[in-house]
Amino acid sequence: MRITYIIRTGVLFSKEGITVFKKLIVCVWFIGAQRRSSRNEGFDYSPLESTYLKMLCMEHDTQRVFWIKNILTKELVKRLHGKKVIMLADCQSFYASVEKAERPEYRDLPVVVAGDPERRSGIILAACPIAKSYGITTAERLGESISKCPNLVIIRPRMQLYIDISLMITRIYQSFTDLVECYSIDEQFLDVTGSLHLYGSPEELARIIQNRIQAETGIYTRFGIAENKILAKTACDNYAKKNESGIYVLSKEKLHETLWTLPVTKMFMVGSRMTRHFNAMGMETIGTVAETPLEKLKLMMRRKFGKNSDINAELYWRIANGIDDSPVTPGTHQVAPKTVGHMMTLPRDYGKLEEIKVVLLELTELVCQRCRGKGYMGHVVSVGCMGADYDRPTGFSRQMKMDDPTNVTNQVYRAAVELLVRHWDGHPVRKVGISLSQFSDDNEYQLSLFDPHREKTMALERATDALKEKYGDSVILRAVSVSPAGQALHRSEKIGGHYK
Amino acid sequence: MRKKLEGNGLWESSRMMLPEHKVAINEHEKTLRQRQRVELDEQELENIVRSVTESLQQRQQITLRLFHPIEELTVIGIVDRIDQLRGRLMVDGEWFPIQDIEGTISNE
Repeated sequence: MRITYIIRTGVLFSKEGITVFKKLIVCVWFIGAQRRSSRNEGFDYSPLESTYLKMLCMEHDTQRVFWIKNILTKELVKRLHGKKVIMLADCQSFYASVEKAERPEYRDLPVVVAGDPERRSGIILAACPIAKSYGITTAERLGESISKCPNLVIIRPRMQLYIDISLMITRIYQSFTDLVECYSIDEQFLDVTGSLHLYGSPEELARIIQNRIQAETGIYTRFGIAENKILAKTACDNYAKKNESGIYVLSKEKLHETLWTLPVTKMFMVGSRMTRHFNAMGMETIGTVAETPLEKLKLMMRRKFGKNSDINAELYWRIANGIDDSPVTPGTHQVAPKTVGHMMTLPRDYGKLEEIKVVLLELTELVCQRCRGKGYMGHVVSVGCMGADYDRPTGFSRQMKMDDPTNVTNQVYRAAVELLVRHWDGHPVRKVGISLSQFSDDNEYQLSLFDPHREKTMALERATDALKEKYGDSVILRAVSVSPAGQALHRSEKIGGHYK
Repeated sequence: MRKKLEGNGLWESSRMMLPEHKVAINEHEKTLRQRQRVELDEQELENIVRSVTESLQQRQQITLRLFHPIEELTVIGIVDRIDQLRGRLMVDGEWFPIQDIEGTISNE
């Protein structure tokens, strides 16, 4: 109604037909955008804003049109009552989309990116929307997918490419706001509060970014928009991924109509097990969790999970209520890690101690290499093994404190083997992992009476690390890695367990 | 555990990041922080020349802002020598390239 009114006034006050017509298109587009967003935000124009809108339509000079548009947008932004505008941008089936953009010949075919079945990583990492329409889901086995869709195009993952493209997308986001935080390879948080006055409403800005990413990388992105990170994430997962535009604004005032009606399984951080627990506590929807007083929820969870569940209770309560004051933190990945660890699923079950020791040594080497690169020494080493039999889960995860902090491979390995020998029950093993923690600076270390060669081993490791840094991890290996049990060669070709 | 409720804890504890991806992000952020050289106009140049010669002649302490690709670099001291041939100046016994000077901060 208001739009037609403004058009009419615009025409009434105009004298030069054509330029005004052009400008009207701009105005109607702009006003439409504002209205669409205002409908979501649940407000109508104030008298001041209406005046500006009228001015906008009556104005002839393009320069002044933009000037008024700017003021108007600022007014609208002010109306958000100092609230932030946070977006969670998520790439649709990221790996598959990257591959499709790289190979246009597969554009209309069902494409999946899957691991190598022979090395027991044969699950679907990503499936494109066409493949999903056949009922293929992420993380199912490759064999199942082929039976659902025989003409499936299966592509080997190229992890390095995905990392590069992800970074390319980060750069695009950074051209709109400097507050960008990577949450995973395909999800990033954007704080656009300070950029809105340049682009218009949050939805408009999301649309601009979405189009640009589509044009530059061929990837379709979805945007959850809200006043904080948890609501943005929720908006993206539950609404933006499902609606047509891929953009959804979740306002906190309307949670009782939107988020709170959803079943509790849709809540962030709630998996199948937690859903069962919540249902057992009589909470079926997110709204019931939100409306339970915090003290009562704490009591209920304490009864179920023991004394130490207060924090989790508060966490779930905050998530359900959309309370989150965490800032979008760009430098978040620069903080020093608390542990450095590596874990791998073996291509076959290992039943002999000798075999497991080979992999353990290789993993220890990787862990220590990373620590040396960062200048850390670890004091606590922990080793984990998972049994091969899914039905009778065996295995252990134990840790011990070494005599002194170290990052020398052989010293850590000695402690790791001690743990392995002490705790391994002799059953075949499917997964092996090791990690180091309790770091200290490696500028100074404890001299040992019984290890006169430490300086020498450290020099040797510096040399091998430098070689690996320059030519790749496979350039120099320990001799055991050539034995049938060795995995270092395969591992050096991979990132995150999948091919580079 | 408490950390989940503070700062960015909720997101830091729940995210899934490949170490290689983290390294790439940090490298990228490092390049973002890199600074460009400043082009000085004549007045600023004159100002620098004046304070440097004053410091040299009257043994006065000056503060020089120097270019550094990442850090904010200031040098405080007395100019001992100026080597025009090799384009460098000595402050308290240490040589600095003259073309790196971005400005002076007066001490008066």
